[in-house]
Formats: sequence, structure tokens, C-alpha cells
Amino acid sequence: MKNGRHLTLGIETSCDETAVSVVADGRDILSNVISTQISIHTQFGGVVPEIASRRHLENINGVIDKALSDADVCIGDIDLVGVTYGPGLVGALLIGVAAAKSIAYACDIPLVGVNHMHGHIAANYLEHHDLEPPFMSLVVSGGHTNIVNVPDYNKCEKIGGTRDDAAGEAFDKVARVIGLGYPGGPKVDKAAREGNREAIDFKRVWLEPGSYDFSFSGLKTQALNYLNSERQAGREINVNDVAASFQEAVVEVIAEKAVRAAAEYGQKRIVMAGGVASNTRLRELISEKAAAQGIDVLRPSPVLCTDNGAMIASAAYYAYKAGERSGYDLDAVPALEF
Amino acid sequence: MINILALETTGKYGSAAVIKEDGSVYCASSETEMNHLKDIITISDEAVKAAGISKKDLTHVAASAGPGSFTGIRIGVTTARTLGQMLGIPCIAVSSLEAMAQRVLSEAIAAGALYVVPVINARRHQTYAGAWQAVFTSDGEHQSIVSEMPEKQYMIEDLLAELTDRVMENGGRVFFTGDGIDAYGDIIEDAFDAKGIRGQLILADEGIRYQDAGSVAKIALAKAERGDTLTYDRLLPEYMRLSEAEQRLRDGTLSDKIKKAR
Repeated sequence: MKNGRHLTLGIETSCDETAVSVVADGRDILSNVISTQISIHTQFGGVVPEIASRRHLENINGVIDKALSDADVCIGDIDLVGVTYGPGLVGALLIGVAAAKSIAYACDIPLVGVNHMHGHIAANYLEHHDLEPPFMSLVVSGGHTNIVNVPDYNKCEKIGGTRDDAAGEAFDKVARVIGLGYPGGPKVDKAAREGNREAIDFKRVWLEPGSYDFSFSGLKTQALNYLNSERQAGREINVNDVAASFQEAVVEVIAEKAVRAAAEYGQKRIVMAGGVASNTRLRELISEKAAAQGIDVLRPSPVLCTDNGAMIASAAYYAYKAGERSGYDLDAVPALEF
Repeated sequence: MINILALETTGKYGSAAVIKEDGSVYCASSETEMNHLKDIITISDEAVKAAGISKKDLTHVAASAGPGSFTGIRIGVTTARTLGQMLGIPCIAVSSLEAMAQRVLSEAIAAGALYVVPVINARRHQTYAGAWQAVFTSDGEHQSIVSEMPEKQYMIEDLLAELTDRVMENGGRVFFTGDGIDAYGDIIEDAFDAKGIRGQLILADEGIRYQDAGSVAKIALAKAERGDTLTYDRLLPEYMRLSEAEQRLRDGTLSDKIKKAR
């Protein structure tokens, strides 16, 4: 507690960012330190779990220190510790969980374990100070593609998800084979802006009527087959066209289903979350389709779309207010369900 | 005043211990295999309470920094670093192998062993190991160990070749300990048999064979007394091995696909 405000320390280490933040009253970011490992993993073409775990350990305590000093508070001012306990890479998660439990124990501060995906949704509470549930949420990140009904701060009802690859995984894979490299999402997005969306007819996978689920593995295979046959035929591949056409096939299905879900559940807002929420074309398309139905679309700024500690602090704050507490036996759960 | 909390999470069962200035040790252990993260704070608190102190009375926090399970090492070291940071007390790094040697010392001396050899199974005939010599004063009261072969990765066959050569040359019995016995017990016995020195070989009983925080605490106390401590940010794991990806990058054997993506 400082100046009458409730302070939460949020810790996030589920993948390749070591991130810690101090948030006041669940809404105001006092500090948001993100130590990214992207440059380390780029040389391996993707996140290497063992290396991520090693770097998290070396980084975490310095990042905690910086988050406190950037917020101009000391650990004694902190009222709550929130930490991502899943889903994610187990070796990466456990660094955050071990550190959070040690802080809670050493300083007698309450502890709340947070679902990383709930954190992504909560990022919107930091961006839009008057946003309150209910709303429909679209959570799209490297490992997840979900449509989630949010009736309440602490309720997340998943109504659709991917049956195979997440959208981000499909982006990464295709980015790799067309030589754009890692991380695939932002690179495909950039290349697509220079390409023709209708150059190649990649299929849209709608699944059975009424389904809010996704499937991207067939599309990924189609893209790989296309590239192989073009190469074999000796034709030059237009990377920008492939990126634009592939991206269009992914985001058209996502946008369409998210808007249909909001309309069907009577929600007036779609709240976007996760790394892929900053994809330019997805934002454009979903805004168009939603506007036609009188539905608003909200999203966090790019820095809050990536993994960060502030979103974990916000989610922890609302869980704590609803009476949730984690014990010292909190464990990392790599395959934590929505 | 000295009150050290010592953590040992590099093996199968995690444990925590508090050692006081007079050398008295209070231990608590995990009852479930590989449950380190879940249990670490609970067993630490049990050890603190058993010692009749409060966590605010702790003066140092020590961790067995490896070698051993990479995941286990990280849980102990991260916890020790963060407790050190938050309680404002120094950290102490202890070698898991040295602590294992410390644990069996009196049994080894009683059995007339010259060498104490802790061996951690690192799979596919790899081990993390080292050899210490048991040293004691003529009255037999003061026992300690001095390093005889460096702590590092050994192929079990190489370790055994070097040890049996030493025994052939200098005599003396060898006291093995650690889960390397579970994995390579037959190979160890065969190597001594082959040179006709099976009688020089002793294998630690299961009751004292594995890592435990009590021995980490004893070594930590000696280090604290001679001022061999670290600030929390300097306490780092001793993996003794690069990650596979880093090793491939160094050897130039990363797959072509990845090279292309770069």
C-alpha cells in the first residue's frame, strides 16, 4: 500500500520474456519491465526451452529489482504477488513460481497464481480503464487461438479453440519455410502489407456449421505443398504474396468466427488479446465485420499484447478481490486449461 | 550469530535444513519424488520452525548449486537467490557432489576408505563425479575431505579407469556414493573385478546414498565462517553441461533448416 493504493507485483516467465511489473488498484501500471530473450533464440530459429530456463534464472532477480525501483516503491509497499503458473514451458514457468513463492514467504505477502491466458485478457483492463465484463474475448497468441466468453472478472468460458496448431504456430512455420525467420507473426504481417491477398487461393477451414473451433494444420500443409511445387516447377516465389494470401486465410476465419460468437452471445464488445492481436490485417478485418453488426472492438497497445507482468498483476488483483489465494504449494502447470 | 537455511533440490527428493553456529542441524524433506517446486517453501519453513527460530533470524541462505537435475538445480537456486534478495542476507553456493561426499564421510572412514567418490547419473554412461580424500587428525576426531579428482562430467568407464589405476598404484579403498550406483553398479563392480581389486570397493548404503540438505548445511557453515559468501545475484547454477542447442551451435551441427531460417 502506498498513497492509499493497493499494489500488486506481477511476475511472468512462461516463455521467452522475463517480465515483472507493479500495478496499482489492478488498473494503473507503475512499472512494466520486460527482459526479452528474442535475440538469443533467433540464432536457433525458435525458443529453446533449456536456454529460456537458464536465462530466466539469471534475469529474474534483477528484473524484480528494476520493477520495484521504476515504480518508486519498496517490497514492503507490495500488497499482493501474482504469478503465471501455466500454461507455458515448464522450466520457464517454474522460475517465476519459485521466485514469487519466495517473495510471498520472505515478506509475508499474499500470493495468487494466474492463468497466463486470463492475463492476456486482463491486459485490456490496463489499457481501457472503464472496461468491465461482460464481453467476448478473442485470445490469439503463439500457442493459443481461443474465443472466450467473459461474463465476469473471474470467469472465462472458452467457447472455441484450435483443434491442432495455434494461429501463431502456423505463422511461425510458414515464416520459416519462406525464409522470413523467427518470430514469424510480425514478419509475416510486415511482408503481407507488400503482397497481394488474392494471389494464391489458400483454403478457409470453417469446420462444421456453428462451430467456433479452428484448424490450421491443413492450411499449413497446403502452403508447404504450394511452395514445394512452385520450387520444383522452377517458378520464382513471391514471398510477399505468399505471406499476404496465407495470412488472409488465417485471419478471415478468426475474424468471422469471433464476430459471429459476439453476436450470438449478445455481447456488444470484442476484446482482443495475445501477441497475434497486434496483427494489422486481423485488426482491420475484425473491425470491419464487427462494425457491420454494431459491435465495438477493443485491443491493448502492442506492448501489452506481448507477454508482460502487468497483465498478470491485473488478473491477480481481481482474483484476489474475489477471495482467491494460492498456498506455498503452488506448482507450475504447463498444460493448464483455459 | 549464524543461522543458515540450506536447500538441496538436485536429486530425486528435495530437502531443506537449518544449521546453527554450534553445528546443530534441523532437517525437513519432501516425501514425494521430484516435487521440488511444490514443496520447497513448505519444507524450508518446517526446518526454520524445527530450529526454533523465525525466518527473520536467518543470516545466510545456501543452495546446492549442482550438478544434478537441471530443473531441480533451478528451483533451489532461484529460491535461494530470491530469499537472499528479499531477506537482505548473503547466499552460499555448495557443490552437490561435495555435499554427497560430506554425507558419507564417517562411514567411509570407518570402512577404511582412502577415496570418497560421489557419482550422479547423467544417463547414457555419462556421470557427474569427483573424488575426495578423507582426511582426519590422529585422534580421529576432526574429519574433512580434500579434492582428489576434479568435479566434472566423466564417462563412467573413464572415471573407473582413472580410479582403479590410482588404487593399483597407491592402494587404498574407494567408497562410492550417489545414484550413479543405481545406474552403473554392475559396471563399477566389473571394473574393480577386472583388475583383481574387488575387495577395495565399497558402495554406500541406500540410506546415505543420495543428496540431502543436512550435508549442504554443514559445508555452508564452514564457508560462512570463512566468509565465502555471495550476493544473491552471484549465486548461479553449476550445470556442468551446455544445453544441447548451445553445444550444437558451438560444434556447428545445428540442423540445416534452422541455419536457413537464420
